[in-house]
Amino acid sequence: MRHRFLASMCCLVAAIAMVWLAPGSAVGQARGSLEVASAAKTAPHLRTPDGQPDLQGLWSFATITPLERPDELAGKEFFTEKEAVDYETGVLKRNNMDRRDGSAEADVTRAYNDFWWDRGTRVVKTRRTSLVIDPPDGRVPALTTEAQTRQDDRAAKNRGHEFDGPENRPLPERCLVLQGSGPPMLPTAYNNNTRIVQAPGYVMILVEMGHEVRVIPLDGRPHLPQGVRQWKGDSRGHWEGDTLIVETTNFTDKTAFRGASENMRLIERFRRADADTLLYQFTVDDPSAFTKPWTAEVPVTITPGPLFEYACHEGNYGMRGALAGAREEEKRAAPKAQTETK
Amino acid sequence: MRTKLAVLVASIGLLFAVAPMWAHHAFTAEFDAKQPIKLRGTVAKVELINPHSWIHIDVKGEDGQVVRWMVEGGTPNTLLRRGFTKTSLPVGTEIIADGYRAKDGSNRANGRDITFPDGRKIFLGGSSPDAPPEK
Repeated sequence: MRHRFLASMCCLVAAIAMVWLAPGSAVGQARGSLEVASAAKTAPHLRTPDGQPDLQGLWSFATITPLERPDELAGKEFFTEKEAVDYETGVLKRNNMDRRDGSAEADVTRAYNDFWWDRGTRVVKTRRTSLVIDPPDGRVPALTTEAQTRQDDRAAKNRGHEFDGPENRPLPERCLVLQGSGPPMLPTAYNNNTRIVQAPGYVMILVEMGHEVRVIPLDGRPHLPQGVRQWKGDSRGHWEGDTLIVETTNFTDKTAFRGASENMRLIERFRRADADTLLYQFTVDDPSAFTKPWTAEVPVTITPGPLFEYACHEGNYGMRGALAGAREEEKRAAPKAQTETK
Repeated sequence: MRTKLAVLVASIGLLFAVAPMWAHHAFTAEFDAKQPIKLRGTVAKVELINPHSWIHIDVKGEDGQVVRWMVEGGTPNTLLRRGFTKTSLPVGTEIIADGYRAKDGSNRANGRDITFPDGRKIFLGGSSPDAPPEK
């Protein structure tokens, strides 16, 4: 087992060492016209020397298109060009962190001026109004009663104990599963970059947020035994035409992506749409958590990089600061509580 | 004690709520909205560490005593990508950090706005409406 792993890693490293460059010609497609059909053929100049569609490069997920369609856009699947610009202007104004208006709480929540935030400035190039493309209303389907109960129970158990210790804090604060790092991968407030490297028999996906790596075998081997559960699940890939399909199972019950159970079956699709665009889609299939499967799509764009390490635990003073703040508040509240009980 | 540290309580605007934002950690848990703070001091150290950058500044109080404060910024990756490195803010540079003090009472604050004494922002750009559009 160990030898097989080492051999696999050697193959991967060797392939990385001779990374073939993505062709430079940039023939962008007009906004809103990306062909989604998986039967679409990848152009010959966008293929690796061994003929696979070339998915390699550094890709940015940054976009201000929301995962779910906002209520005010109900029934509207696509923006016109003008609507997209108006929407972008409105969102950027609302999100502008240089502003200092509003309550002190709102000001603390904004944290820093706009320089530090990097969520992108544009809607997706298809001009869809939500990343969710199925169901057609652009919304994540309702949780099943079972999943809702599970979520409520978990919240109830933590209520009043949110700052007891690190274990009570959300996964991103604990540097365990960072926002947007997936799978599935989604746009977030910064560190939106992902590197894909292809090697014979493998695809590697390195996500900047949390510098998390998935090494995905393409050789048809079975998933890990059911008893082995991982924060990021267990991914297996294969090609269907020019689309890379990655199936991920074996999640932990702690990952709980948007209320999903450990039995979530995630299907991701990667297709090189053009020189500048990778069409990324994922389908969440988890009958015990969602009333129906749902699919989202992010046309991700090539970005010059570089990609930096994000070693979240390196100086996670925030965890100490939040817990110390809670201890201080308890101390302040203690004399008051004693007075009230007298 | 606080007044001795040349700490000015900033006046805060009112009224407009903002959409909740996601970030690496809960800012309102760590920093106290009731303790706005304005620190004027010189850069002693820049920590470009994950998950957040920290700028250490020496703040001279009215009594002449110097106290070191830590001011939190965002992910260092954003800075590096925009060409800002550890040497971009040399030791000794005078800056003003306008933010909120840590709830635990330590000499830490978030750097809501960090400027030079003449008012110029040290960190400019980002995804603000004035930023150049993405490709």
